[in-house]
Amino acid sequence: MQALRSALVFALFALAGGASAAGRLLVYAGAASKPPTEEAARAYERKTGVRVDVVFGGSGYVLSQMKLAKQGDLYFPGSSDYMEKAKRDGDVFADTEKVIVYLVPAINVQKGNPHNIRTLKDLTRPGLRVAIANPEGVCVGAYAVEIIEKAFSPGEKAAFRKNLANYTESCEKTATAISLKMADAVIGWRVFEHWDPARIETIRLPAAQIPRIGYIPVAVSRFTRDRAAAQKFIDFLTGPAGQQIFAKYHYFATPEDAFAWLGARKPVGGEYVVPADWRTP
Amino acid sequence: MRLKHTTIAAALAVLALYGGLIASLVWFFDAATFRAALASERTLFSVRLSLIAATVSTLLALLFAVPAAYALSRFPFRGREAVETVLEFPIIVSPAALGAILLIFFNNPLGEWLQANVIHFVFAFAGIVLAQFVTILGVAVRMLKTAFDAVPVELETVARTLGAPPRHAFFTITLPLAKNGLIAAFILTWAKALGEFGATLMVAGTMAMRTETLPIAIFMRLASADIEGTVALILVLVAIGLGALFVARRLLRSAAHA
Repeated sequence: MQALRSALVFALFALAGGASAAGRLLVYAGAASKPPTEEAARAYERKTGVRVDVVFGGSGYVLSQMKLAKQGDLYFPGSSDYMEKAKRDGDVFADTEKVIVYLVPAINVQKGNPHNIRTLKDLTRPGLRVAIANPEGVCVGAYAVEIIEKAFSPGEKAAFRKNLANYTESCEKTATAISLKMADAVIGWRVFEHWDPARIETIRLPAAQIPRIGYIPVAVSRFTRDRAAAQKFIDFLTGPAGQQIFAKYHYFATPEDAFAWLGARKPVGGEYVVPADWRTP
Repeated sequence: MRLKHTTIAAALAVLALYGGLIASLVWFFDAATFRAALASERTLFSVRLSLIAATVSTLLALLFAVPAAYALSRFPFRGREAVETVLEFPIIVSPAALGAILLIFFNNPLGEWLQANVIHFVFAFAGIVLAQFVTILGVAVRMLKTAFDAVPVELETVARTLGAPPRHAFFTITLPLAKNGLIAAFILTWAKALGEFGATLMVAGTMAMRTETLPIAIFMRLASADIEGTVALILVLVAIGLGALFVARRLLRSAAHA
């Protein structure tokens, strides 16, 4: 029975991944770190000859894939909440977890800020179209909800919800929503403006309105066949060569860098329980 | 006899493949999750939304496809080759690419004007219908053209020599004779619309109680690493989709034989 189940699941996900073999690593990664992760994978290949295949998607989606396919050497979600779940469910070796970079939430608008959005409160202005990532499955959406819940009065919250056109399905689509003018503003990551500098501009939120900052962790998957090889890729990401790649894309390498940009110290990572009325508005 | 057995075996293999895949969902089936999904207002909304959007987009597509397919089947005209060539365009580009193309269209001046003055598609119900409509229109035209091709032109000619105007001949001779093709086109396009995911996701977003169709709800369950929830919703979609098609096929067949 177990063999049949594994065979079925493997067949279903064979296209998504491909089995990890000697000299090859399979990484299930959240899309929040796509540009630098791709570059880091290529750099690691050049340096060591070990091929790094990366499956990108929503952090929860790729965790589902990894669990169902029962394969993969590393789990590299876009934020901490799915790593907490993976650790709880025993899908990664908790002691191998390392933080790669830190993320700060911000408002993102079209380049040139055509709607003159300066503050969080501006997002309640009648007639604006605002989007956030789906807080149920996408980490940056949960950060957005937490910011709104803590900063807005019930009246302001209602006005914001009125402007809230919809939820995007992934971290990168939240950035695309600005690039393709699907919304006038989103609450995303500060780093979005470096993903598409020609079209996206970040509006900084005051430190008081940011409950916590995010981070991108990585850990060795329990399905790995070569724990030492997987650990070496983590060492590369946390080492100077890996960190240099992430710095090129303007990610913060340490919490201190993020705090300096924010002008205040904030809690780092953790899980936020999204209130039910955001799940079924 | 050998041919009969071989072909029946092939038919049963189709059932075994799809039936086996559906049956394999049992491994992650959780009765409590399934009951909760069935009872939730959110699932019912998704079911309703999916059924309404698929039906509206199918009817709209057939409204365009029937005359277009008839023209392709009967009349030589300038641009006919081009129309024929473009029919498979939605199948060739992936659904996600089709959704991206729609989004890019809404960034050009005509698209912006349409959204501002006529109807807002992005992140809205109209976006679901549009994504499904664009996905199924080409297939609907292709299938209906094949159906019209199978109706001999001579029968229309005879009707017209007996005094029937072209429109009358079309509605009383061609359309009834092409009914099997029409039924097949309706069923296939409706099913394709019901299961449409990629383009809908791109254009209409994922908000529950607003634009969360069943395929999108399934994706979001998986995106929340909730495999039992995913299985529950897949079963709902399979049951509703196959059930509706079974009933539709029966009704349409009995109407056709009446």
